[in-house]
Amino acid sequence: MSDLFQISTSALQAFETAISVTSNNIANANTPGYAEETVALTNDVPSGAEQRQIGSGVAVNSVNRAYSAVAENQLNASQSSLSSLTAQQTYTSQIDNLVGTTAGGVSTALTNYYNAWSTVANDPTSTAARQALLDTTQSLAQAFQTTSGQVQNLNTQINAGITADVNQINADAQSISSLNAQIAIGSANGNGQAPNDLLDQRDSIIANLSTLVGISTTTDTNGAVNVFVGNGQPLVLQNNVTQLTTQPNQFDASQLEISTATSNGNVISNSITSGDLGGLLAARSQVVAPTLNKLGLIAVGLTTSANTQQNSGLDLTGNLGANLFTSLTPTVTSSGNNTDHTTATAAITNAGALTGDSYVLAYKAGTYSLTDQQTGAAVALTGAGTTASPFTAVGLSITLSAVPPASGDEFLIQPTANAAGNVAVALTNPSQLAAAGALQTAAGANNTGTGTIGSATVQTSTNASLLTPTTITFLSPTSYSFTGAAPGTAYTSGANIDLNGWQVAISGTPAAGDTFTVQPGAAGNNKNALAMANQATFGVLASGTISVNGATSDLVTSVGSQAQQINTATTAQTAVNTQAKQSVQSISGVNLDDEAASLLQWQQAYQASAQAFSIGNSVFTTLLTALSAT
Amino acid sequence: MRVTQGLEQTQFISALDSLESSLATNQNNISTGLAFTTPSQDPAAAGEVNGLDQVLAQSQQFSTNASSANSSLETESNALGQLQTQLQSVYSLALEANSGTESPANLQAIGAQVTAIQSTMLSLANTQDGEGNYIFGGYATQAAPFALTATGASYAGDSGQAQVQIAAGETVAKGDSGDAVFNNIPNGNGTFTVTPGAGNTGTGVVGATSVTDPAAYTGQSFTIEFTSAYNSATSSSTYNIVTVPATVPTPTGTYTSGQPISYDGVQVNLTGAPAYTPATVGPPATPAVGDTFVVAPSTNQSLFTTVQSLITALTPPTGTTVTPTQLSNAVASALNNINQAITNTGVIEAQVGGRINAITTAQSVATSQQTQLKTSISALQSLDYASAVTTLDAQNTQLSAAMQAYTLTQGLSLFKYIQ
Repeated sequence: MSDLFQISTSALQAFETAISVTSNNIANANTPGYAEETVALTNDVPSGAEQRQIGSGVAVNSVNRAYSAVAENQLNASQSSLSSLTAQQTYTSQIDNLVGTTAGGVSTALTNYYNAWSTVANDPTSTAARQALLDTTQSLAQAFQTTSGQVQNLNTQINAGITADVNQINADAQSISSLNAQIAIGSANGNGQAPNDLLDQRDSIIANLSTLVGISTTTDTNGAVNVFVGNGQPLVLQNNVTQLTTQPNQFDASQLEISTATSNGNVISNSITSGDLGGLLAARSQVVAPTLNKLGLIAVGLTTSANTQQNSGLDLTGNLGANLFTSLTPTVTSSGNNTDHTTATAAITNAGALTGDSYVLAYKAGTYSLTDQQTGAAVALTGAGTTASPFTAVGLSITLSAVPPASGDEFLIQPTANAAGNVAVALTNPSQLAAAGALQTAAGANNTGTGTIGSATVQTSTNASLLTPTTITFLSPTSYSFTGAAPGTAYTSGANIDLNGWQVAISGTPAAGDTFTVQPGAAGNNKNALAMANQATFGVLASGTISVNGATSDLVTSVGSQAQQINTATTAQTAVNTQAKQSVQSISGVNLDDEAASLLQWQQAYQASAQAFSIGNSVFTTLLTALSAT
Repeated sequence: MRVTQGLEQTQFISALDSLESSLATNQNNISTGLAFTTPSQDPAAAGEVNGLDQVLAQSQQFSTNASSANSSLETESNALGQLQTQLQSVYSLALEANSGTESPANLQAIGAQVTAIQSTMLSLANTQDGEGNYIFGGYATQAAPFALTATGASYAGDSGQAQVQIAAGETVAKGDSGDAVFNNIPNGNGTFTVTPGAGNTGTGVVGATSVTDPAAYTGQSFTIEFTSAYNSATSSSTYNIVTVPATVPTPTGTYTSGQPISYDGVQVNLTGAPAYTPATVGPPATPAVGDTFVVAPSTNQSLFTTVQSLITALTPPTGTTVTPTQLSNAVASALNNINQAITNTGVIEAQVGGRINAITTAQSVATSQQTQLKTSISALQSLDYASAVTTLDAQNTQLSAAMQAYTLTQGLSLFKYIQ
């Protein structure tokens, strides 16, 4: 008889628990990280001598979480990739907008600049045209500086992002380690009942950590989770946390790198490839830096070719043209890890050989090496690094302040990274613009032979006598003399004649007494201005295959392609992530309709058990009544 | 697949975000009329448009250059036209002086007129363009290139010819130097000159000259030296042709006034009576002296030298006299040289006309190229409104359908039916 009450009571207790669990599921339907819980019921086995065929009720064995470690891990990994792409997208889309369809206005400014030279060529003595050219040149420099500055600013945003991410990662790691301790205690004291809510909380924090940085996890037998970042650097081991830290880049203190206490201060940035932190690092090295380098390469191409042409022309006062732009020099920085004070300097010797990449010069065990920082490829180096014999490679010449430096010394050489930001106009007076060719040639008015003289080209613009007017007089059809030089130099038609740093060729058959003159360009000479205007389409970059104008189009396309590629990848990864979310939700999520059905189920069972109790009561009453009647 | 309300909601929100983002991009494209506003929307086209924009701007600059060159050449053409008029006047005046009937006073008056023309020519030679540049200075455009001297004019310019870029790879000279227009004019008949000896005492006057056999002409200088006294009855005498080095035997000939003397493929007409003085045994002994005429290849002579020589012959400086024979020879020489100047000016006028034509052609090519470029840019860059608006409509429909579907499915709940 007591069985009846015991059975009903156990059922009422079990179903009440089941209704509580269902209610809790409904209450947490929208709680992130909450896994649906179900009640596991078992029938009580009768005990002792009374073992018969009738059981002794029902009991709640455990409350289980609907959870799949595989699905959770997949979701976390896909979330890490998506966060990385989203972070990169933030920067590619900003650069996409900054550079825009006119390379940040550089393209338009360049066109105006070349056209202004053309206008000067039309009237080389017009001060108005020259002033307009100088103003246009100033605008061009401004366009380079502004665009470069805006792109450079993204590095500041990236640093702020890195710092915030690292702080959040450390906080999450701390939470995970505390939860690990509580879970271990909970599991030990739970008599087989897992601490579900703590597990939910920890999973939620791990999911959050996954958005910040790509992680891998292992679970120990006591229920604790170990978390690793990068190439297996431990972040959480049981209850211990190894915090991430930021430290300045060895070459550039303005760039933050990641390291951990266990990496002995070594930078692990390269191994962090996913999560928001991985995305920020990728944006810096693959989006911001290449854009600055490409823009810088255009700047170097423009300024070196313009300066060379300026130097080989004459300004309005009859002097050889001074540099139009200040010369751009590579940025060279010594590693903070260098053990001596050796410094390196570099100069651009051939803009056409520059790649837009940065290089690391290292000296170790008696050997110098030059490595392309972007591709990682070794670059052949010639020379000794001294002033007399500088290292030469990829259009650069590199000189060390002391040879050899300490073993292990490293120097970062950035030929183009800061070039665009440093474009500046060196001239202030419009008359300093070299519109005239340095030299002009003429045949004597009364020449009787058929000799013709070509244009004189400047070979050595530093020659002090370059601009000294010279008359070449023919003594016979086969020999000539210069002003003040030994007579009787043998003449060969079409051969180059070199003097005072210039070169000219006379061809045909001159007669004795024929004269040819080489003299400085007059004010109305516009040869240099024409040459300047023609630089618009003249190949100066990539071994002379790409013009400065063409390079701006390439920049627009490459920036656009990169942004487009990241957008496409983000869309694809979002789909993968949604899929992973669906998997997790279909296992762990709370479906309210399911819960409604469960509620009805448990409610009916509870009602039925209560009825059974009531019947037991009436049976008991019947028995008592019958007994009292006798 | 088991679906939960929470997932439905998350998915709906992310779908809504994505739809609204495409809608906003499309709307922006429609309001700007551009197929792409950032390079990422079409990287290849964005790069291409950037390049085409640069080509277009350059082409427009070429058009501007062409207009500028055209205006310079019009200025030059105008100056050359006036120069031609002045040359015709000098030519007429020289002819008038050569009639042999003019009194010394008339010759003085003609000389004065030629002097006036010379100063007009000087101002033409120092013509300035609208910007104050001297157009006949070559590259030396900042100072007046010509200044009169006792024998003609000095030239401070050079033979430079500034070029203007009127198309990719095509330049055109925007002017001609003073050398080309005024200085480098071949004298004589353009091939050779015949100059009477300075000490001639006879009345021999140089008439028409020509190259009769271009194949035989060597360009060698030679001197016609008279070797006998002029016979008035037969209007004839004899001459030697003296060359350096000497031709052996020395060519000789018989001169008849008005009959051409031929040698080395050229023909020289002389008229009048050249003088010959036989040698005397003395004392003092004198060698035989005959009048000479030097035939030499043409050299370049400044127009101003030509005009100055004419003026000097017409109005001899005080203390000098000019015989009628000398005047005739000087005027004949001047007529030849002016004729060469007229030809030279004509050639340059024709060249200038040719350049103006080239500019006109280049301008029309540039205009059609610019139209073509604009079409290409527009094809790449302009929005296809029909498709954009259709897409907008579709996006709109999709968005409202998504919203409606969500509200419908959210209305389904078992709890509604539990009473």
